[in-house]
Amino acid sequence: MPSDDVAISARNLNKTYRLFSHPGDRIKQFFTLGIKQYHRQFTALKDISFDIKKGDTVGIIGRNGSGKSTLLQLICGILKPTSGTVRTEGRISALLELGAGFNLEFTGRENVYFQGALMGFTQADMDGLIDDIAAFADIGEFLDQPVRTYSSGMFVRLAFAAMIHADADILVIDEALSVGDEAFQRKCFDKLQDYLEGHEKILLFVSHNVRQVERICSHAIWLENGRIVQQGAAGETCAAYQTKIHQQVHGMHESTKPLPTIADSGEVEVIRIQLFADNGEESVDEIEIHAALRIVVDFRCHSNLIEPDILIGFHTIDSVFIATASTAILPKPPDFPQGEHRVQVRIADLTLLPGVYQIRLGFLDRHLRPMWAGHKLSAFRVTAPAGSNLVRFPPGLIDMPFEWTFSSGTQ
Amino acid sequence: MTERVGRFAQYYLLGQLIKRDVLLRYRGAMFGVAWVFINPLIMLCIYAYVFGHVFQARWPQQGNGAPFWLVLYSGLIAFNIFSDTISRAPTAVKNYPNFVKKIIFPVEILPLVPLGAALVHAMFNVLILLAALAWAGQLNLQVILYPLMLLPLVLIALGLSWFLAAWGVFIKDMSQIVPPFVQMLLFLSPVLYPAASVPESFRPLYRYNPLGAVIEACRSAALGQPINWTSWASALVLGLVASGLGLAFFKHSREEFADAL
Repeated sequence: MPSDDVAISARNLNKTYRLFSHPGDRIKQFFTLGIKQYHRQFTALKDISFDIKKGDTVGIIGRNGSGKSTLLQLICGILKPTSGTVRTEGRISALLELGAGFNLEFTGRENVYFQGALMGFTQADMDGLIDDIAAFADIGEFLDQPVRTYSSGMFVRLAFAAMIHADADILVIDEALSVGDEAFQRKCFDKLQDYLEGHEKILLFVSHNVRQVERICSHAIWLENGRIVQQGAAGETCAAYQTKIHQQVHGMHESTKPLPTIADSGEVEVIRIQLFADNGEESVDEIEIHAALRIVVDFRCHSNLIEPDILIGFHTIDSVFIATASTAILPKPPDFPQGEHRVQVRIADLTLLPGVYQIRLGFLDRHLRPMWAGHKLSAFRVTAPAGSNLVRFPPGLIDMPFEWTFSSGTQ
Repeated sequence: MTERVGRFAQYYLLGQLIKRDVLLRYRGAMFGVAWVFINPLIMLCIYAYVFGHVFQARWPQQGNGAPFWLVLYSGLIAFNIFSDTISRAPTAVKNYPNFVKKIIFPVEILPLVPLGAALVHAMFNVLILLAALAWAGQLNLQVILYPLMLLPLVLIALGLSWFLAAWGVFIKDMSQIVPPFVQMLLFLSPVLYPAASVPESFRPLYRYNPLGAVIEACRSAALGQPINWTSWASALVLGLVASGLGLAFFKHSREEFADAL
């Protein structure tokens, strides 16, 4: 038996969908009362068990189609499990899609009241909340305009504001925070943290963004093909997940030629991108933090390139650009006559924190017209120093050489 | 999940949904909610013209001299509740995939929305009817039974709504199939003519047609004629059975809604 402080308890959850290849098959299935099968089975979740205690913040991570959203829907009671049980305690506020109950023809205010009604609030309850919601959403007079006139940002702000003020015991969020501008995201996270602090609240959070999960969550559940691969402390689970993703991303690029995913004018052809440890001969895909890294690019140009801008940079898996090297800022940018060439950029001290990163590469002509540009190219992993017992680095992307000074008094 | 949202909250939610549904139809229109009155009046004029003047239809039992359009209107109100509800029922759930998949919501109240909206419109229709009765000098006390007379029809519409709404999710054709049937029912029910003027051999069909029984009862109530309580009561029983079965079917199918939408 789960103990008293467990607020969500799932036991051997399975969810199987019936897939009909033709709508008519469903009718046939109905009339044959299961004697004949007109459908295929698709198992979305297999044997899922976990407990979530009050006060936990849990991130659910995994690739597309791994069953994350289905799991959330089961927890919310929107779907019924095919077998197994899920027990929840307290009021759930689900944000599987921001503003899912909104109607575009009605004003923001009307929609907020309706959202309240969905959550079981009466008109009078909402009268007491509307000012807070309006203040948080900060959309001014638009509150009394039809929602269809809103920018997508305003829509998101209002929907999030309405949800967070519902004061539910269990908050379920599906990818919702990946929208909105950065300032508002920041505000949402602050509000979420306020909300979680001190209360016996639960946050369930689905995201592709492992960093977000690491930042907000105390626990994580990693799903793959409908099964739990790993669950436990957020830091460890996310690290394991990143390692796996890295292997897959890398496997994808290993033998294939880098593709210009952004721009391609046909003037430049990239043959390969390779990473080397400082004086290594073999190309690598793992490098220790603070080691020296060489990135070598082989390319062929079909015409003479006069002072092109060659850009080589890093970004995270979720496309946050970190740093870019550019030949344009050199005192004398090189020229490349027609033919094959090799360029190398060396980083003496790789300060990226442990994690998985990808390379972006661009060739621009003198007038900044892109000739070849791509991102999500080679992937590599930065590892912690061997023998270090640092399980987790402080949050961030870069290990800056901070210098501390401590002294007494204020002089 | 449904039990968590209390019964009261569900009624409030249903009220809000119906209000939104009714308001949405007139939102942004120049005449706004005035259409609630204008529409039935236009409809009444058309029927009065076509059947009263073009076809010169006679109403054998209009003993106490109520004008034809008034007789027609008192039955048509009832039929319209049924037809409005049933035509919209197949899309009642289908058009709200978010309510099924994205939020915690008692889905079984969705099919009640078209019915609720139809009843709101019927209320305005009845107000017009009352005014018309008073104007024609036909107002009598029995008209207060009118809403009660509608009860079996509401229950039947409710049962069918649950059934059609569930099927509408799985079978996209439902929203195409239903309107012609509703059209057919208009002519097969004693709306534009009294059941009494049907040939003797077809009479039983009309006696056991719950829709016909209700329409006749409504007309009798409005015009102060004796009400056939036996057919009304049998329609009521049928209505109770229909709504019970409809709800059971809906709840049975509900689990697969999210997969199909």
